[in-house]
Amino acid sequence: MSDDNNLGATLAAATCALLGVSAAPVMADEAERWSFDTALLYYGENDDRVQDVSATIGARRAFDDERLLNFTLTADTLTGASASGAIATDAPQTFTSPSGKAVYTAPAGETPLDDTFHDTRFALNAGWTQPLGRLYALSAGLGFSTEYDYTHLGANLSLARDFNKRNTTVSAGLAYSQDDVDPVGGAPVPLSQMLDVGDLSHKRSSDSKDIVDVLFGVTQVLSRNTVLRVNYSYSQSSGYLNDPYKILSVVDGVTGDTILRTPAPGAQGPTGIFLYESRPDTRAKHSLYAEMKHAFGAPVLYGSYRFMTDDWGIDSHTAEVRLRWPLGSTSYVEPVLRYYMQSQADFYHPSLVQGAALPAYASADFRLGEFDAVTVGAKFGHQTPGGNEWSARLEYYQQNGTIAREQLIGNQFAREQYPDLKAVIAQFGYRFGL
Amino acid sequence: MANATLQNASIAMSRESDYWAGRFTAMASPCEVLIEDATEARARQIVDIAADCAWRIERKFSRYRSDGVVHMINSNAGRAIVLDEESASLIDFASTLTKLSEGRFDITSGVLRTVWTFDGGSVVPTQAEIDAVMTCVGWHQVEWRKPVLQLRPGMQIDLGGIGKEYAVDQAAARVEEIAPGLSCLINFGGDVVVRNPRQDGQPWRVGIEASEHAGTALRVVHLSRGGLATSGDSRRFVFHRGHRYSHIIDARTGWPVRNAPHSITVAADTCTQAGTLTTLAMLQGARCEDLLRASAAKYWIQPA
Repeated sequence: MSDDNNLGATLAAATCALLGVSAAPVMADEAERWSFDTALLYYGENDDRVQDVSATIGARRAFDDERLLNFTLTADTLTGASASGAIATDAPQTFTSPSGKAVYTAPAGETPLDDTFHDTRFALNAGWTQPLGRLYALSAGLGFSTEYDYTHLGANLSLARDFNKRNTTVSAGLAYSQDDVDPVGGAPVPLSQMLDVGDLSHKRSSDSKDIVDVLFGVTQVLSRNTVLRVNYSYSQSSGYLNDPYKILSVVDGVTGDTILRTPAPGAQGPTGIFLYESRPDTRAKHSLYAEMKHAFGAPVLYGSYRFMTDDWGIDSHTAEVRLRWPLGSTSYVEPVLRYYMQSQADFYHPSLVQGAALPAYASADFRLGEFDAVTVGAKFGHQTPGGNEWSARLEYYQQNGTIAREQLIGNQFAREQYPDLKAVIAQFGYRFGL
Repeated sequence: MANATLQNASIAMSRESDYWAGRFTAMASPCEVLIEDATEARARQIVDIAADCAWRIERKFSRYRSDGVVHMINSNAGRAIVLDEESASLIDFASTLTKLSEGRFDITSGVLRTVWTFDGGSVVPTQAEIDAVMTCVGWHQVEWRKPVLQLRPGMQIDLGGIGKEYAVDQAAARVEEIAPGLSCLINFGGDVVVRNPRQDGQPWRVGIEASEHAGTALRVVHLSRGGLATSGDSRRFVFHRGHRYSHIIDARTGWPVRNAPHSITVAADTCTQAGTLTTLAMLQGARCEDLLRASAAKYWIQPA
């Protein structure tokens, strides 16, 4: 090339002569390649129950031709108390804490809450998406999380294919995870009795579980403004599925009151007979999910429904409706309404009757009981001139549980059976690119 | 083959998220003008001006138009012609490009179209056929003393290589006259210019289409001001003896360029500069990056 060093200048001069005017300097850049999503979330339940504060950073890097790399790092701290599964009685109660080194108490007439756990969790996820040829896309991911008593390691793989000029996408995915449970004080022998402080004879060491998930999905563009997505998934868990910290109260078959017990002389311990819960060591879940997005001009309506059924006897339904409503050209508000209901697990027992044959499996964990819940909230988002986005979300959650009459005994009817749960969720987020 | 309905083409206006868009067809390409911060009437006025400019330049310089300057020049090969100011400036510019590219770029090389068809097949002309046509190729055979032009008999010129980017810059200048400072993006078939940055500080986002994935953007360029052009078209090529030849012909040899990348995108002060650099770089084939680095312009290469 003749006179390369002056190519730019020569061309500029020639162009100036052609156009009759010189132009201001160019300002051009490639679109940002790294995109970051940060969020700070607060979750708080009523009555000093669970509180969780978590911070998340997600990073996403787009490469040429639709390859994508993403990472997410989350740190969580959990404090507060949650119901242990024991039932309320007319007198104060004392329990040995999970570590086996101390006791905690519950006031008379209140559902006992175990407030001895404070936990911090770290989780890291990485994912990669890669187009294969013109119509296929492959995604793979790894996940890892660790907390005081629990470690999770997982991997996932999925393949998607487009049909009908990309109006239809069919996908299939597989995920496997291996979790190690190392409960404080050791994993208790299922249905064994809670003992005095310092007595670890009913405790064993750590255990583990693994989970395999299979998913099939179809996404279909129904019109210029409407997209429908339907998924079926199957999940199989096996291994240690118990919650090592949940117990059941053993009660009198007529009065329904907890059988009393005194700790050994000089020792501290439980004032009643409590058994550690026992769940099956396998669980198979089927889920069907459908989601529709419809744009009414600028506002977009999202509706979704999920049905889940498993071999523990739990059936659940989730329905959600969200409306993204633009405010001007840079902001939006998005109200949301969600309704959830589930039936109880086959082995859910609010308490166990003394003298009756022990069932193979029993749990009083409210999360396995029958309940429904409503979430109401709204999210507000604003895009800055630089193209970054702030968002704030506030949601209110209320859960109401039911225990069937035939499962309650005597004086239990008069007391709080399934405490209502109310929670507030607040989240702030900031998304930016580099 | 003249297109009598050019004058009559319609303009479609639409309101996109925060700007007006006017679309029409010119120079056998989809054209659009995006206008920030204006009333519909104003936006329509601006698009009309840009479209009129595009159609005027197309009428005047298209080799298909029997009432245009290029046709007049080509049908008078062998005779001396006096050109108007605008045509003379374009010929001057083309002459400079021929010098800058050491003869690779040459507006007299259009006649090679008669022996090369770039349809992805493997039919290539014989060397004898190329040699026969090459007798009518070469700027050195042209007498050009502004404003008088004389081609040798049998020669033809084709301004297709510089016409569109010139039209884009001219349209931008006309719009600037009636709406100074307003941020508009003018795009004639992938040749783009933005004269003024947007009021809201955001750049215009221009998607460069990936050749194999039509409809999806291979990359997105943030253009706040300046010109942007992309050259290269993977659908027009020829395979011969295991080599892939792009559709861009090196006027020195009569053969298309070998080992050129899939496409080159350049951002420069004007669309004319951007478009010219992509063409000159493609003509360098495998050595395109040397030229682009020397030009100090911003560029993106999609390799073959």
